[in-house]
Amino acid sequence: MTETAEGLKAESTEVQTAFRRLVLGLADTKRLLGIRYSDWLLGAPSIEGGIATSSMAQDEWGHARLLYAALKDFGDDPVALEHQRDAADYASWDPLDHPLPDWAHLIAAVVIVDGALALALEGILEGGYEPLGGRIGKMLGEEEFHQALGKAWFQRLATGEGEGHAHLQEAVEAMLGPTVRCMAPGDDAHERLADRGLILPSSTLRHRLAKRLDPLLERVGASVPTEARLDNGWDPRRGRGTGHPEEEAVERARGDRNRALFVE
Amino acid sequence: MEEIVFDVFARKNRGDPLSHVGYLSALDAELARVYAWKTYDEENWFEMCIVPRSEIIPVNRTDGPFAQARAGATTSKGRAKAGGRS
Repeated sequence: MTETAEGLKAESTEVQTAFRRLVLGLADTKRLLGIRYSDWLLGAPSIEGGIATSSMAQDEWGHARLLYAALKDFGDDPVALEHQRDAADYASWDPLDHPLPDWAHLIAAVVIVDGALALALEGILEGGYEPLGGRIGKMLGEEEFHQALGKAWFQRLATGEGEGHAHLQEAVEAMLGPTVRCMAPGDDAHERLADRGLILPSSTLRHRLAKRLDPLLERVGASVPTEARLDNGWDPRRGRGTGHPEEEAVERARGDRNRALFVE
Repeated sequence: MEEIVFDVFARKNRGDPLSHVGYLSALDAELARVYAWKTYDEENWFEMCIVPRSEIIPVNRTDGPFAQARAGATTSKGRAKAGGRS
C-alpha cells in the first residue's frame, strides 16, 4: 500500500498530528545525534574512528534536513523548525538531552539510539508513505555503516572487563528504556498510525529491535524491554519524556552563532 | 588491543582498474570496512575493497613497504587521511 501527501491530508486531524509528531521526533533526534557525534570528532580512540564519527555526524544532519523538509507537507516551515524553536519544543529522544561523556556512551548511542531510529524509519517505509520512501532508502543505506561500526566497537568494549565494559553497561542501562519508549511508545498517537497501516505497531517494533540488538546487549546483561512505561513523565504532544535537550545543544542545533553573522 | 594495517582499493566505474587509494589502521576487518568507506569518500565509488597489508605477497622486491609489512610490521597509527596515500 502507498500513501501520498494528498492522501494523508484527507485523513483525520488526529492521524495527521500523530504522523507529524513522529517525523518531527525523528528529525530532532537525528539533529541532536549529529551534535553528540560531533563532540567526539577529536576524542575518538583513533584518527580513523574520528573520521568515521565525523562522517556519521554529517549523515545525521543530512537525514534531519530531509525529514524537516518533509514536514512542509504538514503546513510547517522547515526554516522555522530548524532555527526558531525553543529547547522545550524539541521532540528529540531523551538519551540525547545531555552530552555523551565517553566513547562507550557514544557506541551505546550508535547501537541503541541510531539503531532504533533506523528501525523506526523502516517502519515508515513499510507503511508506504510515498513522499518519504526514496529519502528513507538513502538514509538506511548510510545507516548500515553506522550499525557496522557500532556493533564492532560494542563487541570490543563488552568483551573487555575493565573501565570500557563498565561504562558501556552504564550507558546501555541509561539509554535502552527511554529509547524504546520513544521509538515504540504504544500510546494513542502511535497506535492510531499503526491501525491505519502507516507505521508498524509498537509491539512489532520492540520485537524487531530485540531480535536485532539482544545478541549484543546480552553481553552487558541487558535486553530490549517488552513494554514501555508511560506513567512517569511522558509528554504525548512531543512523543518523548517531559524534559528537553540542554540549551547549549539546541543553540548549536539552531545554528544561533552562525546565523548571528548573517547580514540582512 | 593491536591495530592492523589495511590497504584500500577502489574503482570508480564498472570495468575500471582497481586502484590503490590509501590505507588505514583498524582493530579488525569489520571496523576497517567502515573506516575505509567513511575515510576515502571523495568519490562515488562503484566498488571498494580492503586487504590486510600482511596478506599482500610481494613479487619483485624484498625491501618494499609490503614486503616489510609481511615480515611482521602489523601496527600503525594515524596515517589514514593525511598522508595516507601511497
